[in-house]
Amino acid sequence: MAKYALKRVLLLIPTLLLVCVIVFVLLRTVPGSAVDYMIYQFQTAGVTVDQAQVEHMLGMDKPAVVQFFDWFTGIFQGDLGESLFQAEGVWDIISRQLPVTLELGILTLLFSNMISIPLGIFCAARQDSVSDYLIRIISVLLLSLPVFWIATIVLVYPAVWFGYAPPMTYVPFFTNPAENMKMFLVPALLGAFTQAGMQLRTIRTMTLETMRQDYIRTCWAKGVGETQILFIHALRNSMIPIITMIGGSVAGLVGGSVILETMFNMPGIGAQVVAALDMRDYPLVQGCVLVFSIFVMVVNLIVDLTYKWIDPRVELE
Amino acid sequence: MKEEKKGVKPRKHSSPFLKELFTTKPLAGIGLVVLILMVLVAVLADVLAPYPMVDGQLQVDVLHKLAKRSLEHPLGTDNLGRDLLSYLIYGARTSVILCVACTILSTVLSTIIGVSSAVLGGKFDLLVQRLVDAWQCIPSMLILLILMVLLGNGVPQLIIAIAVPGGIAGSRMVRSAAMSVKDSGYVKMSDMLGSNAVWKMWKHVIPNILPIIIINMAGSLGGVVMMEASLNFLGYGVDPGTPSWGALITSTGRTYMFSYPLLAICPGVLIALMVFASAMFGDGVRDILDPRLKGGVGSYNAKKLRKIAAKMTAAQK
Repeated sequence: MAKYALKRVLLLIPTLLLVCVIVFVLLRTVPGSAVDYMIYQFQTAGVTVDQAQVEHMLGMDKPAVVQFFDWFTGIFQGDLGESLFQAEGVWDIISRQLPVTLELGILTLLFSNMISIPLGIFCAARQDSVSDYLIRIISVLLLSLPVFWIATIVLVYPAVWFGYAPPMTYVPFFTNPAENMKMFLVPALLGAFTQAGMQLRTIRTMTLETMRQDYIRTCWAKGVGETQILFIHALRNSMIPIITMIGGSVAGLVGGSVILETMFNMPGIGAQVVAALDMRDYPLVQGCVLVFSIFVMVVNLIVDLTYKWIDPRVELE
Repeated sequence: MKEEKKGVKPRKHSSPFLKELFTTKPLAGIGLVVLILMVLVAVLADVLAPYPMVDGQLQVDVLHKLAKRSLEHPLGTDNLGRDLLSYLIYGARTSVILCVACTILSTVLSTIIGVSSAVLGGKFDLLVQRLVDAWQCIPSMLILLILMVLLGNGVPQLIIAIAVPGGIAGSRMVRSAAMSVKDSGYVKMSDMLGSNAVWKMWKHVIPNILPIIIINMAGSLGGVVMMEASLNFLGYGVDPGTPSWGALITSTGRTYMFSYPLLAICPGVLIALMVFASAMFGDGVRDILDPRLKGGVGSYNAKKLRKIAAKMTAAQK
């Protein structure tokens, strides 16, 4: 187990290198570079500069390979470079905004699991009943509504009816939980609905599959109660694909956080990426994408390691 | 071995696919009908729209901007005086083109990557899988955004930006399906008879994993519409002149949400309808084609057991 875990952690490094290469190459092929934008900014400020000067200032006159390795070795030293437009290091910006994105993500996952696991199992237990159909239809409906559309409605109508508006400043959870929840509850619930719609269907299918197994039939035959069969005998076995799915949805949650943070004015990394991309602030975009990717990688690792814990039959290679 | 044990029943009736879809999965049938209607509307847009396009542009009539519902404009007009009904009908065309093109392109891509990786194996497989792994770690929304910045706005650009990541992500499932097929007797036989890799893939592997490919394809339909809408929300998407439901909600719809709610509600409902129909259709296709979900041998729940017990006691009397 420990050997396997160590191997997996070491394997993260080549994956990380590849992620960096992909991000770097993608961003450098983007037309309309930061240089043009900067020159434009200088011009509007009344200062004339030439391209070489700006490129030198941004460190972009070096060959791309050198730039890449400067950046890549910097990552291991905790240095992600300087933002081009904000007078701050990329790491400082990200570490300030990470808690917001993390909290939103964790709350979304928490809510969506609280909704989808009980309902999914219920649907499987009462397959093809009216309530099964109803819950499934509602779940697909939730999945079909664009998040930004519901978010717009939630932002606009309650504001008029009850005078609700999401707070504009971020308060850390441990300073003032109530104020903090005022900002996070609504976006997290909105994200959770979409997420739950997706999860519910998988959980239902997986539970259905398990409920067809021989050992479950044996349980019925010897008179085990339904609740016990569902939650003790079946759940553990249907858990692996469910955990895999939850792990896989983390990457999707990031997409949701980009939209929700932009909508609700939350100072998180998701909103930062969009803004940075608009200004072609390469180091900042690279840093944000990298942090998200590492996050996804770590979650995948944790998911793989929990397999053995949930199902001792799983052989790790 | 495990498959046999589960007692997979041979299909009771070898009914054609469509008949089975409509009789056993009514919701999937409805989904299919909705999708076909959408395609019809898209194809016949020029005939159906009360104000057809002239030179690829909807007619702008600033004098009648933001008109209420009337006989001339059944759903009113938008802020440029374009007839809303016509806009929505042409929007269906954009959505259908995107859906079809993205799904086909991403399916072809995932099949090529997945099958070749599985069949060729060795170093090629290792390299491709590492790359796919790394690519999967980067949240898809961020890749989409970067690709859109790279390619610029427009329908062909959107198709590439949505289809390429989708294809790479889907290749995983195709590869694992191909892996299970490539060692079977008939592929080895073909090998012995001197077939080359391409023949093997085309003639033996792909036909045998076609169900998986089709499940993948049907499942990814709805996501395309949703992604297009989300991208439009974040400021990347179709050209300003192209009618698109996503663009309508996020620009005009949001601005005039109170005074002209139809501008926001209609496209939202249509997007939801299309995603809903695609998801239902995709689910039905999977249920019918996925062998793991076959056969109801030994699937019980408390209700069913009670019924059986009641029958048995009745029989005894």
